[in-house]
Formats: sequence, structure tokens, C-alpha cells
Amino acid sequence: MSCRKLKRTGLSSNILEKLIRHNISTCKDLLSCSQLEVVKILSSGPATADEVFTKCSQSCSPRPITAYDLWKNRCEANDGFFATSLKDLDVVLHGGLPKGTISEIAGPSGCGKTQFSIMLSLLVTMPKSHGGLDGSVMYIDTEGAFSAERLVEMATNKFPDYFHDNSTTMSELTDRVHVNVIQTCNQLLERLKNLEEDIISKKIKLIVIDSIASLVRKEFSTTLGRNLTDRTNLLVQEAAILKYLAEVFSIPIVVTNQITTRFGNDNIQDEQTSSSGLEDESGYVTAALGNTWSHSVNTRLLLQYLTPVTRQVMVAKSPVAPFTTFTYTIESAGIIQQDGGAGHYEGTDPGKQQIKVRSALPFQVSQSSSLLS
Amino acid sequence: MQRELSTYPLGPSLKNKLIQSGFMLVDDVYHLKPSELSRETGLSLEDALEVIKTVTEKDGDPTDRQSKGPKTQSALEILQTEQNQPNIITFCQQIDDMLGGGVPLSKMTEFCGAPGIGKTQMCMQLCVDVQMPKCLGGVEGQAVYIDTEGSFIVERLVDIADATIQHCNFMLKQNQDDVGELKDFTLENVLKGIHYFRCHDYIELLANIQLLPDFLKEHKKVKLVVVDSVAFHFRHDFEDLSLRTRLLTAMAQNFINMATNYQLAIVLTNQMTTKVRSGAGSSGQSHLVPALGESWGHASTIRLILHWVGNVRYALLYKSPSRKEKDVPYQITVGGIRDLIHDEDEEMGADNNKPIKRQKIS
Repeated sequence: MSCRKLKRTGLSSNILEKLIRHNISTCKDLLSCSQLEVVKILSSGPATADEVFTKCSQSCSPRPITAYDLWKNRCEANDGFFATSLKDLDVVLHGGLPKGTISEIAGPSGCGKTQFSIMLSLLVTMPKSHGGLDGSVMYIDTEGAFSAERLVEMATNKFPDYFHDNSTTMSELTDRVHVNVIQTCNQLLERLKNLEEDIISKKIKLIVIDSIASLVRKEFSTTLGRNLTDRTNLLVQEAAILKYLAEVFSIPIVVTNQITTRFGNDNIQDEQTSSSGLEDESGYVTAALGNTWSHSVNTRLLLQYLTPVTRQVMVAKSPVAPFTTFTYTIESAGIIQQDGGAGHYEGTDPGKQQIKVRSALPFQVSQSSSLLS
Repeated sequence: MQRELSTYPLGPSLKNKLIQSGFMLVDDVYHLKPSELSRETGLSLEDALEVIKTVTEKDGDPTDRQSKGPKTQSALEILQTEQNQPNIITFCQQIDDMLGGGVPLSKMTEFCGAPGIGKTQMCMQLCVDVQMPKCLGGVEGQAVYIDTEGSFIVERLVDIADATIQHCNFMLKQNQDDVGELKDFTLENVLKGIHYFRCHDYIELLANIQLLPDFLKEHKKVKLVVVDSVAFHFRHDFEDLSLRTRLLTAMAQNFINMATNYQLAIVLTNQMTTKVRSGAGSSGQSHLVPALGESWGHASTIRLILHWVGNVRYALLYKSPSRKEKDVPYQITVGGIRDLIHDEDEEMGADNNKPIKRQKIS
């Protein structure tokens, strides 16, 4: 909206002419000027300049709405949330991932981030009677991890009745999942910028980015300094676009994030560090991309290993939910919540929340080490 | 008045015409009627009027300076108004005490903090608290909520509002007052008293703030303006940092004007950013500081930093003109911001209001 041309703000033509002569053609240009500059350009007094400012502001300022109306609209529509099919998780999240915001799934490799994303994609395509959103999904894949085979497997196992011997529903499903393979940061930014057309024409009801971290971590080195600032800028820019899309189309956005090892003296859970052999004494594993990115996501779910079979999902940041954990397993039907193991934990800074990684390999390593010696 | 006309914010062509016709000082323009000025300088009538308005409004007539010039107040007067000025309580006794009774009106308060620490929760809590009835020490006002991040979840607001209303009802019953006074303090009215703006970029934010005084004129009851967060849009898309600083200072100035003109509290939230300590030996060492740079640090009158110490949330009073620097714990419950309680007995103690530490899940 801020790129709105001054022509459409109802300013008189001679003022407009003067502004355009000084390269001020949009509301953005004008509001970036100080009053004195505008006075000079218009060669008038400050009152006229104020009037110009007001007119211009009126055309691009958002309209107010009371929280009551907001709430009423949400209640009537009754679809402010997108259910994840993990029952208890949905309960604490007031019904699922909030639409119109960015949700992040972070966790160590192999913990089920992609599985989670694929399952959410499947759910979106399901008709409303099956708890879905009856829409399409835009799956932006940067790691090349999306597997159509897995999607089909999950579909047939999760909804056996619906997909049973029915090739039409299956082809409908596969038609509705649009996968985009993106390999550079620039491509991703470009893709996000022109996503709007696709959202409208393909009836997209969910955007998945798997993962937001891999490209930036590949292309930007993490030595602190200018490079890191650029990386942060890029991420915040992407976040701003995503937030805008989420809100305008009222769709949930899911991004996955990797983990990183953090070093520092501010380690708060040092009593636990010793339990995991993979961690350095002063380091701990936590979600990647840093503090500024953490500000940009509205909901953060952390995945971590408990035992070789069961894993845990933690609600680490949410505007609605308290810190809670649930256990789940990955099965052929997707992510399945396990009974028991749900509970609360003493939360801490989601940017520093420690994540348990797989601490031991499931097979004996002693043989290979004996070979080495 | 010896001030030169060229020092006023007038367009160059206006200034030229004035100078050419021999008008150099404010005195020359004084006591002239617009029509006379127009005749002498060849300016259009509208321009002449604007020149006179600009020149006279700024300084006032020297003879009646008393009425027009800036009014001075004695410290005693300020003390009295400050003491009468109600505060918006946060529902966390310790934070209230630290701030001297809560978030003050006519001042600008900034909450900085890491992601997920509860900045948005604090804002929502204040939006509800500002509407508490006067008989309970509230302000009985309304709130404007400017959301730049999209983290305003109305369901969460309903949770907080419900808990607050329950709490107030309980307090009244305990004091055996007439509950009738609370008739207006219902969920519906509380939600109606929060005006929500969503700004998608910094231009919308600037435009919004530009027009806010008009909105406040129409909605006289507004006693709290929340911007959550002021940082988000200013942290990307800015190649030109001096432009950013200028826009931020102008914005801060607008806020302060609003705060004093309408006796309302301005609450801003700010993000934290990582700063690398420079200097040999300590390279790679980083720490968190509030975003938007040093010069923005001057903008707000009161600054609180919300941070984690282990598993406990703490609020640190970082800058305040009148209170001591202090660090107090708080917690976020289903009902909103509360004191961190160790014992069961609590001052505000009530069964349904005992801070519920954990939400029950089925």
C-alpha cells in the first residue's frame, strides 16, 4: 500500500506537479521527507505541507477495528486455526497452528521436521469433513527432501477409507500439492515476492518452507560481522513478506529450521549437558538462525529425541499456549501422538531452549573402533 | 522581534518575494493584515496569510506573551499533577512497585526483550488493565493497539480479559461493595475498548501515527497507545541508516506530544539485537542489547528490559527518571502477567485468582 502513487491521494494538481518534479511520486517517498523539505519543494508555508502529509497518510493508514469485532469475526468464521491432528497439541494451541501467522518447526536432523511438513500438507488437501482445509499447498523445498511416495503412503495409512481403492481422490491429492524446488537465497526471495499470484490461482491454503535455514546457512558464512547482518536482513525481509501473505490470505505458514550449537557462559541448563555425549562442555544445541529470526516467528515448536523410537515436541514460543511437551512417534501414517508423556516444562528463552539430539547410535560402534586399533 | 524571516520554514520563492519587498525581520510583518502583505509583496492572499500565521504562531505577540508563550510550571505544580496522575497497573505487584504504581500516563514506556519473553502478553494485559473501573484504582480508559508483527491473537486477549474481569469482581465482593459498578466492565465492553490497527510496513506505521491525534480527538477515552513492536519494520529495508534515525526521532517526538497533550500512556515494545564486543582479545564475544541503536535509547522515558534468568522471567528497570534500577521476577499465567509466587498465601489472594501456574491439559 505504501507504494501508492500520490496521484490517487486527491492532492491538487499543482502540488502534485511540484512533488513529481522532485522525484516524489509515491506515499513512501513523501512520508520519508521531513516537513522542511516539503516546504521547500512546495515553496509554501508549513500548514500546506502538513495538509499534504495528512492527505497522504489518510490514503495509506490502516483502518482501526475493535478487538470485539475482531473476536466476533473469528468466532463466526470459526477457522482461526489449522488443526495438526495431534489432539493435545491442538488443545493447548486453541485449535491448531494459528492462521495468518508464521509457525516454525525446529529440530535435529532426522527428527521428523519434513515428516511433519508432509503431514500438514496432506491435512490441508483433505476435505473439511476430514478435518482439512480443502485447499492446496505450496511446498517450497530447499533441501530436496520432499518425497511424493511418502505423501501417498501417509495418505493411504492415515485416511484408509477416503483413499481406499480410489484413484480419483488420490490424484486430487497429488494435484493439490505444489512443490517448488529452490536452490539459492535469491531464488527464494524472488519466489516469495511473486507467490501471491499462485496463492490466488491455485487456492493455496498453506505455505510450507522446508527449510528456511539450509540456504542461508550455506550461502552466508557465520563469522560475525557484515555477513551476519546481511543474513539477518534477508531473513527479516522474507519474514515480512510471509507475514503479509499469511495475513492477507488468512493462511498458516509453516517453516522448518535447523539446529545449531551455541557456545557461551550463559548456559543455563548445564546440569543436563553432561548427559549428552555429543555436546561440548560449554555448548548446547538450540534452534538456528539467531535471535532476530526468533522474533519473526509467532509460534515455535521444537522437536527432540527422547528414546530411539519416541520423540518429543515442545511448544517453545506461542502467543496462546504455555510451555508444554508431547511425545510422538513417526509411523507410516505420519506423526502420531502418544498417550502419556504430555506435560509442562520450566520454559526458558526460546532462543536458548536446549534440544536433545540423538545421543547414541542404535548399533554397536565398538566393533569398528576395534578395527581401527 | 529581531528574528530574521529567512529562518522560518517558508518556501524559497516566498522568502525571495518577502526579501525583495524589504521584509527582513519579524517586526516588519507584524501588525500587517494579509491583504496588505499581499499588496506589498505580490504574494497571493493565501500565501500571505500563511506567512503571517507561521511567523506569529511561533512567537506570539510580545505584548501578550503571558497567554500565548509557553507556560512555565513550578515543580510543585508538576508534583501535584504527577501525584494525581493515575497509573496503569500491570497485575504484577513487583513490577508495579518498581515503576512506582504501574505504567505512568503522559509518559513513554518501552519494553525490550528477547523473543517469547512476553512483550505481547504484557501489552495485552495493559490494554485490559487500562479499562479497569476507577473504584478499583483503574484508569477507566480505552486502548489503541498498533500491531506491526501480527502477533496479536484475539483468543489470547479474551483469556486475559476474562481472568482480569473475574479478579475485579472478586475484589469488589471481598470489599462488599456494590457490584453494580462493574456492570460496564464486561468482556464485550473490554474488547470494544481496544482499537486495533495492523501496519504492514513502516510507511503505514508512520501514516498511522501521523493521523493518530485525529483519532484521539474522536476517542477521548483512549488512555493507552501500544505499538508492538516499534522495531520490526525498521530492522529491514533500510539502506539509509540516517533516514531511519530521522524517522525514528520524528516518530518519538510525535508520541511524546500525544502523551502530554492527551495525558495517555505510550507503551512501545522493542526487540533485542546481538552486538559484538569490539576490541582485541574479546573478538567473537557477543551480548544482547535493545535494537534500533543508541540514539533511539533516548526516545523513551522509561525503559524496561525483560529477560530470562534460568527458567524465571525477570523485568529490569533500565532507565527511569525517578525510580531506582531494579530487577524483579514475574511470570506469565493463563490469566496474564502475574507475580512470581513461592507461597500459597498471597496479598490479592483468592481461590480463583491464585496464579495458575500451569494450564491443565486433558
